[in-house]
Amino acid sequence: MAKAKKNKSPRKSAPVSYAPLKLDPETSDEAINVLIVGVGGQGVIMVSKVLAQICQNLGLQVKQSEVHGMAKRGGVVFSHVRFGKTVWSPTIPKGKADVLVALEWAEGLRWMDYLRPDTGIFITDTKRIVPPFACRSRILGADIGYSKNTPDDVIGKVAEAFAIDATDMAAKEGNELAANTLLLGALSTTLSFSNEVWREVITQMVPPKTIEVNLSVFDKGQKWIEGSRKGEPVEGSAFIPLVQPEDHPVRTTLSIIEEWCKGCDICVKMCPERCLVLNKDQVVELADPEKCTGCHICEWLCPDFAISLNPSLNSPPNLKVQEAVA
Amino acid sequence: MNKHVIPQAEEPPEQNNQQNNQLENIRDFEIQDYLRLDLFPHFMCPGCGHGIALRALLWAIHDQGIDKNNLAIISGIGCSGRVGTYIDANTYHTTHGRPLAFATGLKMARPDLHVVVITGDGDCLAIGGNHLIHAARRNLDITCIMLNNEIYGMTGGQVSPTTPHDRFTTTTPAGNIEPVFDASRLAEAAGAGFVGREVTIHVPRLRDLISEGLDYKGFSFIEVMSDCTEINGRKNDLGSSSEMVLGQTRTMRPSEYDNNVVDHPFRPNSMNTGVFVKSNRPEYGASYRDMVDDIQEKQKGHSV
Repeated sequence: MAKAKKNKSPRKSAPVSYAPLKLDPETSDEAINVLIVGVGGQGVIMVSKVLAQICQNLGLQVKQSEVHGMAKRGGVVFSHVRFGKTVWSPTIPKGKADVLVALEWAEGLRWMDYLRPDTGIFITDTKRIVPPFACRSRILGADIGYSKNTPDDVIGKVAEAFAIDATDMAAKEGNELAANTLLLGALSTTLSFSNEVWREVITQMVPPKTIEVNLSVFDKGQKWIEGSRKGEPVEGSAFIPLVQPEDHPVRTTLSIIEEWCKGCDICVKMCPERCLVLNKDQVVELADPEKCTGCHICEWLCPDFAISLNPSLNSPPNLKVQEAVA
Repeated sequence: MNKHVIPQAEEPPEQNNQQNNQLENIRDFEIQDYLRLDLFPHFMCPGCGHGIALRALLWAIHDQGIDKNNLAIISGIGCSGRVGTYIDANTYHTTHGRPLAFATGLKMARPDLHVVVITGDGDCLAIGGNHLIHAARRNLDITCIMLNNEIYGMTGGQVSPTTPHDRFTTTTPAGNIEPVFDASRLAEAAGAGFVGREVTIHVPRLRDLISEGLDYKGFSFIEVMSDCTEINGRKNDLGSSSEMVLGQTRTMRPSEYDNNVVDHPFRPNSMNTGVFVKSNRPEYGASYRDMVDDIQEKQKGHSV
């Protein structure tokens, strides 16, 4: 990415300012490299299989290698497809991918430096799958550890980039699982293979019941890219910013009735955030209000009902209530 | 674009009101609505699991939408017997081992009441063992919560029918040699319509189990694995109260229960928990009233 040129901004550039590039394996001496990335369950492998099958049918050499081992439902999946007259290595070196197809937004960003800095084409779904480990902080309002980049941030970092809301478009066609075929349609505009070849292989590869919807979203993907290159307004490119949890209206308050606490230590030991301590009188107190996430474990496990989250409305009179807003 | 927008009131309300409104939305179970606050703090030892079980029971009662005026809590003698005292409902503190007998009478006379029995392992299985099996046999609509802390706590730590093997108590100074009673299997064998068991550390699961038991029409027997830190735990070196509560999922269960363990991989608790029995046996109160109606109907016809 460091060597990226900032001369082309595809989605905002003047219409028909350059001829669309078609990568042709017959005329190219080097192998053509297509990198497909995404998250388990999205159909990364299916996309790469379609591409590899087309190349085989055309008598080209093709090498495809993938990582999908522990990726079932949620992990990282990537697949390298290299094809041409002669292909030696099965994997694509950094900075040598001609096309990067991302089925998930952050995965696409992660692999962007595999693209050729001068000619690489970035095709991505704006679908975001936030993994559980991006939400490790349980504090209300905590930041999500997920990329906050928008498609505008990508412009200028790659030669040509297309951010399609493919999942949404496929869902409107009747099956959001067909988003990968929509991206195949987008990919097909960058390669020299004829439409018949693509449609034939897709028909072979997808489940028989979904052939119709897959072919229709394939067309949609193609039209999206063509329209986008001509500068026509295209639907399905809206990028909705992530909802940040700062907007969550709930604030919890922990109150402790000191007179009822017997200092049994259960809450102190059970608190996942370790924010409670016993003071010198063997009474629990909230030592670290910032850490409290309002998980209710201390409240539920207090045998003496001394702790309540969100102060109780009818707390007994004349009892001191220690309050801390978390 | 799809951010949470908090609608602005025309006049910003006072902070207190705002807070109260939020609370009403967020939280509907307030345990203090169900407690006799003038008796607090309660008498139980620090770390006693009975308090956690009491919260689960009150929460389940709240979830079931049971009116406090239609709720009768019957309890016997012992630590568990005292638990009922703190509930702001119709409570009945009865003789040792006989809460089920009193509850049977109450339920027969007042079928409109929700009758809940809180009893302990000594109360229910030792001196009240016969009452348990016959209550289970009749299948009258009573919910029996047995708080099993494996010891007679209140009277000074004597051995109880559920004290595990080799445990030291005041009456077994060299270790217990009696086998344990598996109360859930006893109730099941005696014919209880609903049998379940849960540990206190899983409060929401315990609440749901009790809630299901309250909902069941028939005798529901719920065994709550509680911890006695001060009497049982200290004498047997079972650790602090938090360790004992945590240990319920792992080590508290001794090998005596092995014939009743789960065979689920990756589940650390060797003790079988959850709903064991949920049958559709006829409920005794309903059968009884049907019979009375039949007889009265026949007598009417006879006199005319």
